[in-house]
Amino acid sequence: MSNDNFPLSRDELLRAYRTMKTIREFEERVHVEFATGDLPGFVHLYAGEEAAATGIMMHLGPNDHIASTHRGHGHCIAKGVDVKGMFAELYGRATGTCRGKGGSMHIADLDMGMMGANGILGAGAPLVCGAALASKYKKDGGVAVSFVGDGASNAGNFLESLNLAAVWDLPAIFVVENNAYAQSTSRDYAVAVDSYVDRAAGFGLPGVTVDGTDFFAVHEAAGEMIARARKGGGPSLLECSMIRFYGHFEGDAQTYRAAGEVEELRANRDCLTRFAQQVAQAGVLEQADLDSVDREVAALIDEGVAEAQQAPHPSEDQVLTDVYVSY
Amino acid sequence: MSEMVQMLAPDGTYTPDPAWCSHAMTDAQLRTAYRHMVQARAADEWAFSLNRQGRLGTYPPATGQEANSVGAVMALREDDWIVPTYRELGGLLTRGVPLKQFFLYWLGNEHGSAFERELYHVTPIVLPIGSQLPHAVGLAFAERYQGSDRIAIGFVGDGGTSEGDFHEALNFAGLWQAGTIFFVQNNQYAISVHRDVQTASGTLAQKAVAYGFEGVQVDGNDVTAVYAVTAAAAAKARAGGGPTLIEGVTYRMGPHTTSDDPKRYRTDDEVAEWKGRDPIVRLQKLLRARGLMNDDEVAAVIAEAREQARREFDAVEPFEKPSLEDTFRYVYADLPPLMQRQLAERRRRLERTGT
Repeated sequence: MSNDNFPLSRDELLRAYRTMKTIREFEERVHVEFATGDLPGFVHLYAGEEAAATGIMMHLGPNDHIASTHRGHGHCIAKGVDVKGMFAELYGRATGTCRGKGGSMHIADLDMGMMGANGILGAGAPLVCGAALASKYKKDGGVAVSFVGDGASNAGNFLESLNLAAVWDLPAIFVVENNAYAQSTSRDYAVAVDSYVDRAAGFGLPGVTVDGTDFFAVHEAAGEMIARARKGGGPSLLECSMIRFYGHFEGDAQTYRAAGEVEELRANRDCLTRFAQQVAQAGVLEQADLDSVDREVAALIDEGVAEAQQAPHPSEDQVLTDVYVSY
Repeated sequence: MSEMVQMLAPDGTYTPDPAWCSHAMTDAQLRTAYRHMVQARAADEWAFSLNRQGRLGTYPPATGQEANSVGAVMALREDDWIVPTYRELGGLLTRGVPLKQFFLYWLGNEHGSAFERELYHVTPIVLPIGSQLPHAVGLAFAERYQGSDRIAIGFVGDGGTSEGDFHEALNFAGLWQAGTIFFVQNNQYAISVHRDVQTASGTLAQKAVAYGFEGVQVDGNDVTAVYAVTAAAAAKARAGGGPTLIEGVTYRMGPHTTSDDPKRYRTDDEVAEWKGRDPIVRLQKLLRARGLMNDDEVAAVIAEAREQARREFDAVEPFEKPSLEDTFRYVYADLPPLMQRQLAERRRRLERTGT
């Protein structure tokens, strides 16, 4: 079975599916484990939004940087951060990505170009300007991608970054993951423009809006922007219209959502279901291929959780390490 | 984005723009505007000289920007809020703030910035860049909430448009349809950073697009155009039509402050070119052409303004200077050890050097 006109190879499609499925299963499992009370801290789940992170990150390599948000698990996984290390981090274990001292909102892996999830809204955007400036200065061809939600898109630090990136012509992409709610505040209560493309116009930036639940739409739009930035064509803004399956954080009662809203989204706008339909229609992957990935992912998630639960906590003498370079 | 609004050309020719002429200035208003612009210029030049004489501390000159400041404030009602930066002397004088109070502020006395609220409706002078704009949105929102039709104008410079506060304020104003006018004094330089390297936006006015409302670019050295555009924005805001962003394109003919040397970042040719677009000279040409002022009257306005600047400064110069201790007061209830050490160190220097 083959389709020569399809924009991605079989390997790429399998990689995309594996990434999306890993994010989904990771989040579904965190949802369950968090409810047991074993996970310390706070978690914000990316379930339902997988196509956006995956569609964008397929174009990035280790030389490229990203800065994530409080809802960072999906970005981490798509950027290649070790899933087992992430589970251990969430459990606060010494084997975690940040040796168990960062937790969900501070996962970072500089070796993978992942500059960190971030508990401060909009704070990743200035970091991305820095990374993009460094790439431009060193001429290493690197691109940096910032993620914010619709809420943080109104934060001053994000807007300052759009201006800086535009005026310095940086290889930076600003992704607005518009999942319709800033915690409980509907987007219509917080933004007066109809589209983020209008907002980009105010800064002299090109902008595009895509359906963030359509992997192929995101992949295509992001690919153009990233290729342009890589060639010195400057920054862009990408708005992904998204949905989230869970609350703002785990424990959010979601009284601001209509009855049946989530059920409807899960039934009709699941990006994984859509991906499976698209590849089946095009005849580029078979259900057996997807099933095989599903088994692989399920095993990885089980192992990740089991290993994290067995791993040691950081020792007391580690309390002050890895925080400041000097103090 | 339409072209820059201009009605009074640098050579003094006046061509009313049909789109804006319902807000044309009357002859009496033109004379008033001229007087305020000259007052502001004379006070500004005197302040600069006082600094060089060692009688006034750091001062940010506004010479060249008078049409923006005076024209915008004249277009408002006397009880509308003015939320100024530190370079809006023309607007303050237009509103009736006594010049001596302004001088008092630059002498280091904070009372100079505490403009009597019910009399002037002017918020204190602010030095942080852009921090005042959220206040301008809050004031306009509060007025409407209380059933009043008062609006607010918030001034900011071209550099301030890169500040997060600017964008957050615009977003709220657009969203809430607040009766706020954002007036950008685009004087081409954020200290030494030229507007062209400040932002990639084609105009500063177009930044309003990002927040869902209208932006207008106006020749900021043409007081008639500034007045007309601001009056239209004020009428819209008062009627509940929401905010407007106005970019007044002008030039800071002097340094950023008395501590800045602009020769390091701009050419004499550029300054000379803008001198040919001087807002006061331009208005004077119109007044003469229309027979609204003759040479004697022009000379009298200038002489009176210079005299006023000297008189008003003399009235406040003897006021008590802020003490060294004042610098450390009003921030912490109990001065932390680090601050105590700094104060002691500073005292020793004062004793040793006298400054």
